[in-house]
Formats: sequence, C-alpha cells, structure tokens
Amino acid sequence: MMPATRLFPCALFALALPLLGADSATEQGVAAFQQGRYTEARRLLQDALKADPRDEHARTFLALAQAATGHCPEAVPSLADRFGNSANPDLARLAGLALVQCAVAEGETAKAVSLAVQLEARYPGDADVLYQAARVHMRAFNDATRRMFEKTPASYRVNQLSAEIFETQNKFAEAAAEYRKAIGKNPRALNLHFRLGRAILLESHNPEALALAQKEFEAELALNAEDAAAEFQIGQILNAVSKPDQALQHFQKALELSPDFAEAALAVGRMRVQAKQYAGAIPLLEHVVALEPANEAAHYSLMLAYRDSGQMDKARREQQELQKLQHPPEGEFTDFLKRLGEKAPDK
Amino acid sequence: MRILLAVLAGALFAATQPGPDFRDIGKEAGLTASFPNGGEKSKEYIIETTGSGVAFIDYDNDGYLDIFVLSGDGGTNRMYHNDRNGRFTDVTAELGLTSSGWAEGVCAGDYDNDGYTDLFVTYWGQNRLYRNVNGKRFEDVTAKAHLTQDRVRYNTGCAFLDYDGDGHLDLFVANYLKFDFATTPKPGSNPYCFYRGMAVNCGPRGLPFEKNLLYHNQGDGTFEDVSVKSGIAKADGHYSLAVLAGDVNDDGRPDIYVVGDQTAAMLFINQGDGTFSEEAVMRGVAFDENGRELSGMGLASADYDGDGRLDIFRSDFSDERSLLYRNAGNGQFDDVTMAAGLARNTRFVNWGCAFLDFENSGWKGLVVVNGHVFPEVDRQNIDIHSRDHALLYRNAGNGTFEDISEQAGPAFAARHSARGLAIGDIDNDGTLEILANNQNEPPSLWKQSHRAAGHWLLLKLAGSRSNRSAIGARVAVTAGGRTQIDEVRSGGSYLSQNDLRLHFGLGSAGRADSISVRWPSGGKTDLKDVAADRILTIDEQP
Repeated sequence: MMPATRLFPCALFALALPLLGADSATEQGVAAFQQGRYTEARRLLQDALKADPRDEHARTFLALAQAATGHCPEAVPSLADRFGNSANPDLARLAGLALVQCAVAEGETAKAVSLAVQLEARYPGDADVLYQAARVHMRAFNDATRRMFEKTPASYRVNQLSAEIFETQNKFAEAAAEYRKAIGKNPRALNLHFRLGRAILLESHNPEALALAQKEFEAELALNAEDAAAEFQIGQILNAVSKPDQALQHFQKALELSPDFAEAALAVGRMRVQAKQYAGAIPLLEHVVALEPANEAAHYSLMLAYRDSGQMDKARREQQELQKLQHPPEGEFTDFLKRLGEKAPDK
Repeated sequence: MRILLAVLAGALFAATQPGPDFRDIGKEAGLTASFPNGGEKSKEYIIETTGSGVAFIDYDNDGYLDIFVLSGDGGTNRMYHNDRNGRFTDVTAELGLTSSGWAEGVCAGDYDNDGYTDLFVTYWGQNRLYRNVNGKRFEDVTAKAHLTQDRVRYNTGCAFLDYDGDGHLDLFVANYLKFDFATTPKPGSNPYCFYRGMAVNCGPRGLPFEKNLLYHNQGDGTFEDVSVKSGIAKADGHYSLAVLAGDVNDDGRPDIYVVGDQTAAMLFINQGDGTFSEEAVMRGVAFDENGRELSGMGLASADYDGDGRLDIFRSDFSDERSLLYRNAGNGQFDDVTMAAGLARNTRFVNWGCAFLDFENSGWKGLVVVNGHVFPEVDRQNIDIHSRDHALLYRNAGNGTFEDISEQAGPAFAARHSARGLAIGDIDNDGTLEILANNQNEPPSLWKQSHRAAGHWLLLKLAGSRSNRSAIGARVAVTAGGRTQIDEVRSGGSYLSQNDLRLHFGLGSAGRADSISVRWPSGGKTDLKDVAADRILTIDEQP
C-alpha cells in the first residue's frame, strides 16, 4: 500500500488560519504540518486538543496529519465529519481530498469514486479535485481490469480490452492482433470486426490495408446488418480507391440506418455536389450544419455547394462561419502555445 | 466524338508502349558532391528540414540544360555545365557562384531582358539575385537591385512573373516563419516540439508567422518592394513554402498560388491594377475537402484532364493526402483527389513535384519526391521513413492516375530524403529527365533507359514586347485531335525551377495541327502544321 504521505501535495494546504497566540500549540502543529513534519504535527495537535477539546482547527489538522502518516482509520471519522459538516469550505475541501486518498490507500476504490464524485459536484472547477477524480477513476479502471485478467483470463473480453488499451497507446498492430484473438474466441461478438478494421487502417498507410479493413467492416455487417458506422467505413474505403458510385451506395445506406449520422450525410452531400445535384445536396448539408454547428467540414462543403450553385451570398456567409471556427478567440490554448514558442529557451 | 476518339487513341498508345524505366545517372554524369542540409539522424532546428531546391537552366544559351543545386549550411550551391556527352562539369567557382549559408529556393528568369537567364536564390538570411553576364559568369546584384533585406528572413519559394504586363519580370518571394537560433525552443520544449511522442525540432506551430513579399521590377535593374500596396502583405497567419505563378482564371494575367505548412493556402488573384485579392477559400484551394489546413510543400500545375484549364497539384505531409484541384472554370476549383486515384499514398512527406509526360503519350503524369522532416521517425519502426522512395503516377487520360512507382525502374526504388525537384530534357531527345536534391547526399538525376515512344515537341519561347523569358506565355498545341495547354513558368515544384522550355508529348501524332501562343503582352502567334520530334523556338513578333 502506498504510504499516505505520498498522497498529499503540499499545495493543498496553503490555508489561512485565524489569528492564534504566538505560542499556540495549534499554530505550531499546523505550521509543522505545512512543512511536512507530520509526526511532530500530530504530537503538537494532540497536545492542543488535550488543552482544548473544542479546537476544531486542531481536530481537523490532526486528522489530516494522521492521514498523511498512514493512520487513516484514526483520521477518517474526523475527516468525514469535517467534509460533511464544516462551515469552512476550505477545510471541508481539504478533508474531502484526504478522505479520497484514505479510501484509495485502504483499497476502497468504490468509496473513493463516490467521494470523488461528491467533491467534483461541490468544487467543479478545482484543479486538485479534478486531479484526484482522474486518479481515482484511473484506479477504478485498473482494478476492474486486473480483476478481469485474474478471473476470466481466457475470455475474449480480455483480448478486446487489451486491444483497446493498445489503441490508446497508438500501438495499432498489437491492437489488431488482440482483436483477431478475440474474434477467434467469439466470432459472433459485435464490434470486434469494426474495431479491427479501424485498427488496420490506423496501423498502416499501405494501400493494401484498405482491402483488409474493408473485409472486416463487411464481416461486422454480416453480424449486424444495421451497423451504420460499418457501412460508412466501407464507403470511405471505396471512395479512397476511386469507386465513387459504390461508395455512394454505402454512404446512403448508412444515412438510411442513422438519419442523423453527420459524417454519412456529409459524404452523400459532397457527392451530390460533385454530380451537380445541388437541390439534393444543399438541404442535406444544411441538415449537417444544423446537427453540428461546429463542424468545419460541413460548413466548408456547404460553402462550396452554395458557390457552385451560384448562391454567392450564402457561400460567403458559410465562409465567415468557417473562419470563426478556424480562428478561436484570443486566449485559447493554441495562442498560449504560440506565445510560449516565441520565448527564449532559457525562459 | 473527336475527343472520345482522341482519348481512345491515347489509351491504346499508352497500352502498347514499354513502361518507364528510370535510372539514376547522377554519379556517372559527375554529380558526386554531397549537399549538406542539417542533421541526418536528428534535427535540432526547423531550418534543417526545409532545404533545398534545384534548377534546370541553360545559363550559356548553348541549347543544353545545365544543373544548379542549392546547399544548406556547410556547403556551396553548385552549377554544373552540361558537356553534351552525358556528363556535367562543376563550374561553380568560375561562374562566381560559390556561396555559403542556408540556401532554400531558386527561380529563373531574364529580369533584365538581355537574353541570358538570371537566377534568384532564397535564403534563411539574405537572398541573392545573380545577374547572368553573357553566359560567362554570374554577378551578385542583390544590393544594386535594391533587394537587400533589413533583417534576417526565412525566404523559401520564389517566382519571377510579370504581374503588371510591362514586359519586365517582377518577383514574388514566399516567407516561411520567423526563426533564429537564439530564441527558437529546443526539441521537446513545448507541445509543438513532439512528433508521435518523440521530442523533435520545434515548429512551425509555436513559431511566429511571416509575410510574403512582392517586388516590382522598375525596368532599370532595380526592384521596389510592393508587398503592402499590392495587397500581398495583407495575408497573415501563414507558413509559406512553395509558389506557383499562373493564370488560373484565364483572364490573361498571372495569379499567384502559395501553399503553407499547417496553414491555409493562398490564391492571390491578379486584379489587373497592380493589386491582388486573396481568394483561396472561396475558390476551393485553401484546404482539403474537409476544410482542414494541410501542410503544403510543393506545387505543380498542368491541364491534366485536357479541358483547357490549368489544374493544380499540391504535395503535403505524411498522414495527409496530396491534393489535386481540378479547375472547373473561372478559377474555381474542386478537390478531386479521391476520384483521381491520388488518395492512397499517405505515408510520405511529399516535397518536389511536377506534371510530366514521361511517355510522350499526350497525357501528363505526376512525379513526387519524398523525405521526412523528422529523421527520428526511423526509431519508431513504422511505415513512415526518414528516407523514402519517390512516386510516379501515370495519367490514364480519363481523369484518373495510376501509381506505377514499383514498375518505373530502380530510380523509384531508391530511398532519399529529397526536397527540390525539377524536370527537363538534358539531352534534347524529347524524353524528360528528373533532377532531385537529396539532403546530405549527392543529387539524383533520373533518366529513362529508353526513349519515350511517342512523338513530341519542345518549345522555347522568346519574348520581345513581353519579358524575354516569355514567362507567363500560354501555349496551346493541337495534335491528334486533342489540344494541350501549358504556360512558361518560373519557380514551382518545391523551391525549384523546371526547364523553361515547354514539353508536349504528342502520342502517335507525327505533326501538330497548330500551335498557338498567347504572349504576356497580349499578342498572339499561331503556327500551323508543325512537324514533331524537334525543338522549336518561337519568337514574339515585335
């Protein structure tokens, strides 16, 4: 088990205290805590509580120091009380964060997740809270994965999950191999062929990969004839190998299966523009823009459709929309990075 | 019906000919010097990634193309004289072209109309205008021509063009970004300094943008910076690389198309009053079909589908498609990459590119050279490589291209980190050769092992009222029931210069029914019933 002291970032404890006497044991205990001298802090704060059992600051910081030194069972009752009842939001936040860490340290992942959800609800924009929430959810994911690998090692789900993890690491060849194992164990399982097809496309730039991936999407359709995403992927591949007529059929099928499938509608709309069928293309592209107002590809395609059909005012309007989407307001992350790049390396 | 028959004839012609067989003759031709351009295993700064261009020019007017190759820091640009026996001799020093620094791009044109082709070389640092003195030497007239820059700029592509039709060649110079060694972050310094999880050289994102330049030729040997008053400098927020000058909207005036790295391309439409209007988005050449900004590297233009309009090909980065924009008329373009069969090769970082009729079939194919900007990618053991082979596409004559790289001879199997590319006919046999600048290696000179079987014409144009190089002249050749067009062009490809002569493959037609020239001055020349398989000089009537 990880020592609880490793769980406490010092930055959490920059907490202003009410004015206390210069020689106050509470103040000395809090100071020791803030400097990471947790054992000394516990002794001083216990002394302070002996002198005044009603000293809430001493009680709270004693619990925090206990948690920090791995004495969670002693700390939790006070921390829970502070988290639930303290009128001071800073103290309540600190107590909540310590409670989460204690739950993790004690292996109570479900409890930690529940506390993290409560904390996030009360402190939604708090970086420390969000950080702890992310760690707890990751822990829960890891625990569930470990249990799955321990209890059902031969299951196709183990291979499927392994493949999905490889995908997150951009290891698409390894992901494809795991999907193939999963398919071997359960050929009827849905979504495996689709994910395999996608992994093949992501793994290789070789034109031959298109044909391999197409087979997987077709296999997915054999299991689920109403899989619009698989239809769409086949359309994409056929389009890339210059078979636009066949591609259009698959895009249209995807759209029939899922009328609000924006990418499919966009693909059909574009192909109608290429065929100069503007009356059929423009309403479809307008539908995509309505579905996804921030979809740059949709605005661009609609702009070209208006242009080609001679509706230049509308085309210019779409161009303006596209421009707004492509140039985020000042202060966004990209601008920050741009400024970062302009600094000298030593800064 | 006549067009259909012509298409069928072209297809039959191509089907009965042996395929192309390109071999690298660079070493035996004497191109043995290596051209340094930054690190080979890793690159610390972006300046190491972008160089350099090459040029085919006939500097001494002996009728044979010479070769000019640019170098990154640590070497010199070199001019090789064509000895007309399959060999080239390094004449750099005797011509006064020995140089140092980070040379990027080159473009050619007779800016002083004295009958000798001059050279402009772009640099990270001071550009250089070399005046060709009677084909005997080159004089650096940069300062004399008022082309000295007041600060270090990262100049890239360039093109001579006569935008105002006064008979004097003006000059467009693309600029990439603001770069200096002292302040540019080191690999891994910020999120823009990573590629596939590896720390790599930073940029272009995260580095400051730079604006492009237009210089007006005042006709007295000097140039004036008209970037602001022409409207060119209005366009901001681009990392410009390659330049293509050409009349995209068929109004008789040259327009300027510029692609940029990770930013939208620009199309400057010539307004005819000394100003330009940037209209790339609405004209359909700023983005890919998804409205995404790609990393445009190289540019080529031709009428690939025989409809009498100039189309555009642009080469892009890995995991992107190189794009083919079909000119639908009036300078409005459609992205036809997928329909044309050009969407399949996405693992390459493409650079120099050119349309060329390598079989003299009457249909221009495409050549593209490749090489990654991050040599570190080789550590990943994926299918993207630092050095890679080039691509050759055959134009099927029906709006589609076929990738025949694997059947195009050993030159197309060799792996290089190539940048600039130029095409030209070095031995005047009507079959085109390909020149490529390979980073930290000698350049490649690819020649076919056999002559292309089709008939051909090589047209050398000489302006009189127009600029002497006839840059901007539009030529239409009708033969075998088809009309092909092209323009005399300075610059293009990736920071490179093709043969200024225009090459037309005529397939099985032994004669051209007509040749029509529209000169930049507005004048016209029409020739009838011209025998094929020869080099023809066409002079503009005064």
